[in-house]
Amino acid sequence: MKRRTVLQAGLAGAATLTLPRASRAQAPRKLSYLTWNISDQEQLFKEEFADFRKANPGVEIEWLDKKGTELPAFFQTQLAAGTPPDVVDLQGTIWVEYAANGALLDLTPYLKKEPEVAKLFNQDYLASWQYQGKNYMLPFYIAKTLLYYNKTMFKEAGLAGPPQTFDDLLGYAQKMAKGEKTGFLTLNFDWLYWPLFKMNGIELLTPDLKKAAFNTPAAASVLERLAKATDGGAINKISWTGRWVEPNGAFAGNTVGMLHAHSSSYFFVKGQGSWINESTLGVAQAPGYWATPTNHGFGISKSTKNPDLAWAFIKHLTSTQWATRFSQSRKLLTGNIAADRAGLDYLRKDDALGAQVLQTQLEHTDRFTGNWPLPFDAQLKDAFYPEIQNAVLGRKSAKAALTDAERAVNRVVSRNS
Amino acid sequence: MHRYPRWPIHVALTGVSFVMLIPFYWVLKTSVTGENIFAYPPSVLPKAPHPFYYVDVWYYIPFARYFLNSVVVSALAVAANVIFNAMAGYALTRDFPAKRFVLLLFLSCMMVPFQATIIPAYLITGRLGLLDSYWGLALPQFSTIVCIFVFKASFDAVPRSLIDAARIDGLSEWRIIWRVMMPLAKGAIATNVILGFIWSWNNFLWPLIVTRSAEMQTLPLGLARFLSYQEDTTGALYAFCIMVLAPGILLFLMAQKEFIRGLTSGATKG
Amino acid sequence: MATASAVAYRPPRVARRRTRQAVLVWCFLAPSLAIFLLYRIVPLLWNAVLSFTQWSPLRAMRWAGLDQYEDMLHDDVFWQALWNTLIFIASAPVAIAIALGLALLVSSDIRGRDVYRTIIFISYPLMTVAVAIIWRWLFDERVGLINYVARSLHLVDRPIQFLDSFVWALPSVIVANIWQMLGFYMIILLTGLQNIPPNLYEAAAIDGASAYRRFLRITVPLLKPSLFLCIVIGMLNSFTSFDLVYVMTGGGPGRATELLVTYIYKLGFSQTRFDYAAAVTVVFFLLLVSIAWMANRLSGGNVGAVERD
Repeated sequence: MKRRTVLQAGLAGAATLTLPRASRAQAPRKLSYLTWNISDQEQLFKEEFADFRKANPGVEIEWLDKKGTELPAFFQTQLAAGTPPDVVDLQGTIWVEYAANGALLDLTPYLKKEPEVAKLFNQDYLASWQYQGKNYMLPFYIAKTLLYYNKTMFKEAGLAGPPQTFDDLLGYAQKMAKGEKTGFLTLNFDWLYWPLFKMNGIELLTPDLKKAAFNTPAAASVLERLAKATDGGAINKISWTGRWVEPNGAFAGNTVGMLHAHSSSYFFVKGQGSWINESTLGVAQAPGYWATPTNHGFGISKSTKNPDLAWAFIKHLTSTQWATRFSQSRKLLTGNIAADRAGLDYLRKDDALGAQVLQTQLEHTDRFTGNWPLPFDAQLKDAFYPEIQNAVLGRKSAKAALTDAERAVNRVVSRNS
Repeated sequence: MHRYPRWPIHVALTGVSFVMLIPFYWVLKTSVTGENIFAYPPSVLPKAPHPFYYVDVWYYIPFARYFLNSVVVSALAVAANVIFNAMAGYALTRDFPAKRFVLLLFLSCMMVPFQATIIPAYLITGRLGLLDSYWGLALPQFSTIVCIFVFKASFDAVPRSLIDAARIDGLSEWRIIWRVMMPLAKGAIATNVILGFIWSWNNFLWPLIVTRSAEMQTLPLGLARFLSYQEDTTGALYAFCIMVLAPGILLFLMAQKEFIRGLTSGATKG
Repeated sequence: MATASAVAYRPPRVARRRTRQAVLVWCFLAPSLAIFLLYRIVPLLWNAVLSFTQWSPLRAMRWAGLDQYEDMLHDDVFWQALWNTLIFIASAPVAIAIALGLALLVSSDIRGRDVYRTIIFISYPLMTVAVAIIWRWLFDERVGLINYVARSLHLVDRPIQFLDSFVWALPSVIVANIWQMLGFYMIILLTGLQNIPPNLYEAAAIDGASAYRRFLRITVPLLKPSLFLCIVIGMLNSFTSFDLVYVMTGGGPGRATELLVTYIYKLGFSQTRFDYAAAVTVVFFLLLVSIAWMANRLSGGNVGAVERD
């Protein structure tokens, strides 16, 4: 009996084995396209692909979508096997590592040949994908940090408007901290908290990016003030221990005075907090107008067999027509100037507050910080942040934390030079 | 038959069941109400339950296709598991030179975490030409060491006299396994089937790495669709988890009786 | 061949049979060995070789000697993860003891044991993502059920920090892990209980042995193989629980719940330091093998098998 089942299973398996192979019969030209957790846009993408196929008949597009936590595992395995997808959507600064190690195609020649393409985009955002003078990606969607503030809590504490300086920020946070309420909350992944340091003139690395530059008395005093504020409840502890759901959820719970996060937070918080409307939620730039960008960009794998086709594809996806549709559908900004203008106008109609939030993303784009074009950014993050966390949570003195962080960071830099 | 009070056992088991069920209850509840679990205070009873999240699951992802893929892969894995593990388990009950070495080798093989083998496993499967296929999905799970030892323990418990008698009767080793040992090791088979199925059915990381085309994805990979880009967990996510859970539980229920065979009352009162 | 010469004298017919049996044994072991060779041994060797080099999927390989291991000595995160992993492993006997109790209870002669058995088991096949999210919520300081109950019953005034606390995060994850694993241990032990011939109990009962003595003298010794297996599985849990830890806390806060396996994954796929990850893998492997070897010695050798009479 067992033997028969085995045989049957074997035959079934062998038969089905041929199925997927057949369906992947050699298409004349095939593009594989990997995206980062955007499967909800399936409908829009299908339209975009169909439109692309009209201009490029006979092209088959293989769309793969992976969640953020799995995309690196998938992509790197494919790289190791030599079969990476042709077009890839990467978030934040992980692209630098791939670019530095020759996995991404240098787009500068294409941009030089077609300067009108480069002109479509916000130049500051476009420049965030430059490494050693070469441009590696086109913007897919962009965001940067801003300051949300709870107008009701501000009024109760007798505060007029958003803080203009770091001292104001801590002072206001202190005034609003009572009982279960806290004054300030920030996201902490991907260097999103860095503006707090930059607005005090603290640099992470020396200009040549070869050594740590943050172990200064100024930095120690900033860290001490942050630690004291966290201890006293002015800064919510979740700022340093939370990921995404906890900090945003806390702000949505109407008990936090200020939230330092990027534009996506607005839509998450709005979904959870029914108290949010134009008169209760204020939107501003952080003191000093400093912000950490957190963007998604399109890159092309160096080993692609169809570089020109891949270039045409990402041009197509970031074209004003389709970027506008994407901006309207997903309620975010794409970096394409015309598309963003149209998207904002569209959003303003039924969510004026949301439009305000997105508007901040386009202002002061000359004040980007927290993004270093270094291939070992992930290692740098892992060396620096845990020590900061130790200091603000009172487990280490600020001076000791900074010294340990300096040692760790220098080790990372020297290991990678 | 010893008479002993049953009610303390019931009390203990009810308490344990309560603890075991609380998280599960919440998964079930959220799957029918879709409420925000981070709302405070938490509500114990479901408000306005409806089954539409289960319908959502069917439509958001190609559920039928993923389900079929998972069934095929798990069936392959379980079938191979039972056969190979029984063979290996039997071999380990015999005395042969290098037996200790093999035992230690098997034990050591267990100590390699999958996360450290992703890239070489992918490259090897690629060399075998099995990427993005049912065989490629199932192959790493064709044998599991835990179940080999379960078979070995069951086979060890078979009285020697039976085996000797069978051998005197002229049965070959292969026949001995299937005619003498296996019928007496129904518990081990049931365990292997259940565990092999669960491991294969819930396997997430390997299918993620080894499949490319949409038609070859297995059920757990559909999960990404329900964890929205804002990590906002919805009722559909929980409905999805319940639907993925169902076959495993069904299998367990069907194999249940294998776990009480041969035990008489009083024999195991602790 | 070796057997024939190792023994004093065997008639040729017996010698041939022994050889044939040895060959047969290896044939039976072959399929499983092949799978393990492909998917465990070769990858382990890949890691071992890699641990002596500098490499990434994007660069050529460079010999680096013991550099990676030296880095490990100075790596605070590694030591923290190692410590956490050891604590995680040490929690296994607790879970196994509970599971043993449950296995005995659900195999005793009571009504509804099928129901109890199913309820206890139901947590195991549930997708780890769901388990992680729900337990994360249960432990949540602000909105979690445990805090809600504790505060409603006025057991505490301020919410208890579980997953945000550097001290309680790991125990909380362990609790969630035990919840999920109880059914698994129970099933292994139930299968083991089956292998005990009931007439042993009957004979002992007739001889007047109390239930406790029957347990100690019959059940425990004959359950040794299953108990050993459970201990080994408990050790493996320090990496099969990867999904749970990763989704529940991501290794945080700080590195309070970082296990060696989550560290290996992050080193490989976040920091692209596969060479260093390989070195950590090798060390982790050696650690587990040593613990397993010690457990084997303590349980009487031969993989805890019961010596047949």
